[in-house]
Amino acid sequence: MMRIVLTMKERTNPHIPIEAEKINPAFLMWGTDDLTVWEGNKERRLDEIFEVEVEGTATSVNEVEVVLRGDTSRVKRIGEYMDGGRITVEGNVGMHCGNFMAAGTIEVMGDAGGWFAREMQGGAIICHGDVGHYCAAGYRGEKKGMRGGKVEVFGNAGDFTAEHLFGGEVVVHGNCGDMPGVDMQGGYLTIHGDCSRPCGNMTKGKCTVLGCVSEMPPTFKKEGEVEGPDGLPLTHFTGDVANRGKGNLLVRHYQYLE
Amino acid sequence: MSELLVKNAYVIDPINHIDGEVMDIAVKDGYIVEDVGPKATVLDAEGCLTLPGGVDSHTHVCGTKVNFGRYMSPEDMRAGREVRRGVKHATSGYSVPTTYANSYRYALMGYTTLLEGAMAPLEARHTHEEFSATPLQDMMANTLFDGNWAVMKAVAEGDIERVAAIVGWTLSAVKGFGIKLTNPGGTEAWGYGKDISCIKDEVPHFGVTPAEIIEAMIQACEMLRLPHSVHLHCNNLGTPGNYACTIGTFNLVPDLNKTRQSLYATHVQFHSYGGSDWKTFCSKAEPVAYTVNNLPQIVIDMGQVMFGKTTTMTADGPMEFNLYRLHHNKWSNHDVELETGSGIIPVLYRKKNLVNSIMWSIGLELALLVKDPWRCLLTTDNPNGAPFVKYPEIIALLMSKKYRDAEFATVNRRTESRVILPALEREMDWNEIAVMTRAGQAKALGITGIGKGHLGIGAEADIAVYPLKVGEIDPAQEYQKIIDGFSKTRWTVKRGRPVARDGEILVHGENTTIWVDPKISPEHDMSHDPEFTEMFNHWYSVRMSNYPVQDEYLKRNLRIETEATI
Repeated sequence: MMRIVLTMKERTNPHIPIEAEKINPAFLMWGTDDLTVWEGNKERRLDEIFEVEVEGTATSVNEVEVVLRGDTSRVKRIGEYMDGGRITVEGNVGMHCGNFMAAGTIEVMGDAGGWFAREMQGGAIICHGDVGHYCAAGYRGEKKGMRGGKVEVFGNAGDFTAEHLFGGEVVVHGNCGDMPGVDMQGGYLTIHGDCSRPCGNMTKGKCTVLGCVSEMPPTFKKEGEVEGPDGLPLTHFTGDVANRGKGNLLVRHYQYLE
Repeated sequence: MSELLVKNAYVIDPINHIDGEVMDIAVKDGYIVEDVGPKATVLDAEGCLTLPGGVDSHTHVCGTKVNFGRYMSPEDMRAGREVRRGVKHATSGYSVPTTYANSYRYALMGYTTLLEGAMAPLEARHTHEEFSATPLQDMMANTLFDGNWAVMKAVAEGDIERVAAIVGWTLSAVKGFGIKLTNPGGTEAWGYGKDISCIKDEVPHFGVTPAEIIEAMIQACEMLRLPHSVHLHCNNLGTPGNYACTIGTFNLVPDLNKTRQSLYATHVQFHSYGGSDWKTFCSKAEPVAYTVNNLPQIVIDMGQVMFGKTTTMTADGPMEFNLYRLHHNKWSNHDVELETGSGIIPVLYRKKNLVNSIMWSIGLELALLVKDPWRCLLTTDNPNGAPFVKYPEIIALLMSKKYRDAEFATVNRRTESRVILPALEREMDWNEIAVMTRAGQAKALGITGIGKGHLGIGAEADIAVYPLKVGEIDPAQEYQKIIDGFSKTRWTVKRGRPVARDGEILVHGENTTIWVDPKISPEHDMSHDPEFTEMFNHWYSVRMSNYPVQDEYLKRNLRIETEATI
């Protein structure tokens, strides 16, 4: 096993974002000496920004564990294109964490910024706090979003959660913002709390909302009552009819726009 | 200014009938001269293939339409990202990249002159602004007249002189280069919810047919003595069975000009389709090429389709709407007041798809079947058929039967019964490629006189040295070397200055905008014509006095003044 602990150093201006796509077990397992990150428009060596402690060695990326400590709330692109191993963030994390991730695990103990697990392909990513907008979404303009893996958020999620979802599973234990699951084409989205206007333009896949849906889209066809998890009675809708969609939307409570 | 000597160049210069001669090219003050002094900078070409700078006679790289393609496809900007370095700006994008990316990529391929295929006159300022941010190529803009109300009214009245006067006034007002007709009448008809299927259908409310518009425009073009002919995108693009319409259009064209063609038909691949629907879709490149071979007054360009992702954009609004109904992806449509319209959708051409595979074959068939390379030019209608960075692959396909067969084996296997490509044995030589990529294009655009497309004494010193040793490569077998060689020049020289070397951009550069200013007699001056000014004041959202593009929009420019016969 190899354990790499990166502790954020004190910075003169802690608001400047850091682009750190190199914080990825695949790069770190080969040493940290020539890795760089961008702080604003300046390229910095990794050890100028972080205290680096390395214990043990690894022969495969799956034996690597990376731990991030300190104020990492402005560190972006952690675990981008990750294909194995484990990253644990003890505090908050910035935008674009786990983009394009294909395998491995990322666990964030605090909050995460926008675009969490964007276009994820596989693996697991967990956030114990809240996440920003576009969690598990696709990129602007792209037709297909997340294609596989599992995203679990224990706090609340922002707007456009799981937009363009194409495969995999997204679970939000708190509330979602506006328009979760818009343009869904597959996969599973489960929201334990409330949300508004879910699943517009959905063509396939399954979305379950165990809280209350406000501004329920009128373009979904009511199919009847079904039994949800823990025996909860849910209303089953199919749609989006406006797009000849065949998605399933199951909701506990809902209200249309007055 | 500087002196430059390109030594030991293996020159192919079709306009000056030089086919593979090792020689030195002397350059002084941006022009090719007989000799230079001993202090001149020397570039040793070491016997590598040296051609005049490339000319693209139909590409969409600047203007509102291209920019809207950029707006619509943020995902396209994820490709081709490069950081700023030295004189080079940061770049991004693949099918609709930034203007600098376009300019750098063309320069690396040895292209030094581009014609923007379609500029809406009302939106000319945007095109000129983007021209000034395309530093390494000289630019021209074909100006759209396909749905121009004033033109259509004059055509309906049979007043060709008035048509010429309107075209002349508009060209000099918007600093355009030539006449572009995109689906003449069709976009305007679509604005009224009607469709035009071929050249004999009448445009509603205007009482003219596309055939009348095309014929009048060809005559008006000659009256104005424009360097380039009418540049036509035929009606009925992309519909199965449209080849009959294309041939019908070609047969309308009179031979009016001794020095060049009378009609330039663009992206003919999209107009050479047989069949009655998508199920019976097939290639009709043979009859189209036969017609072109028999009509010396016509020059075409391929509009080759290459597989992969791209963005289609054209002033042909109804065609883009039909494409949208096939793809159900993003779509934009735009109407330009009294002039034209446009549409944009992103597409993916797939080898698995039968229709796409046939389209790919048709472009190559046209190039191989048109006997005279001066009359079938190499384009992809960038980015409609494919981004221009695919040109080297097309060159290799034209030069190697082996490569064509290898590629053909990977496309949809039902293609074989719908096309004739596998039966075509022709393999182009270096000279034919030089014609199709620069000399022929310069001649068709009528810009050889201002020193484009050749390396004669007095020509502009636009030179491309490719890392290809002609004697040592067999293009028919070693097609990968052809692709690599044409992708990256050893040197690209623009106006006597090396601008690119082995894939590196060397200078910031400053382009020249080439535009045409026909000199028209005062009685035909449209700015004082009461009917024309009244139309402006009544219908346009801008005043006539604010319509012309101010000189500030053109940095360096070359005004070609023509003596109109009216």
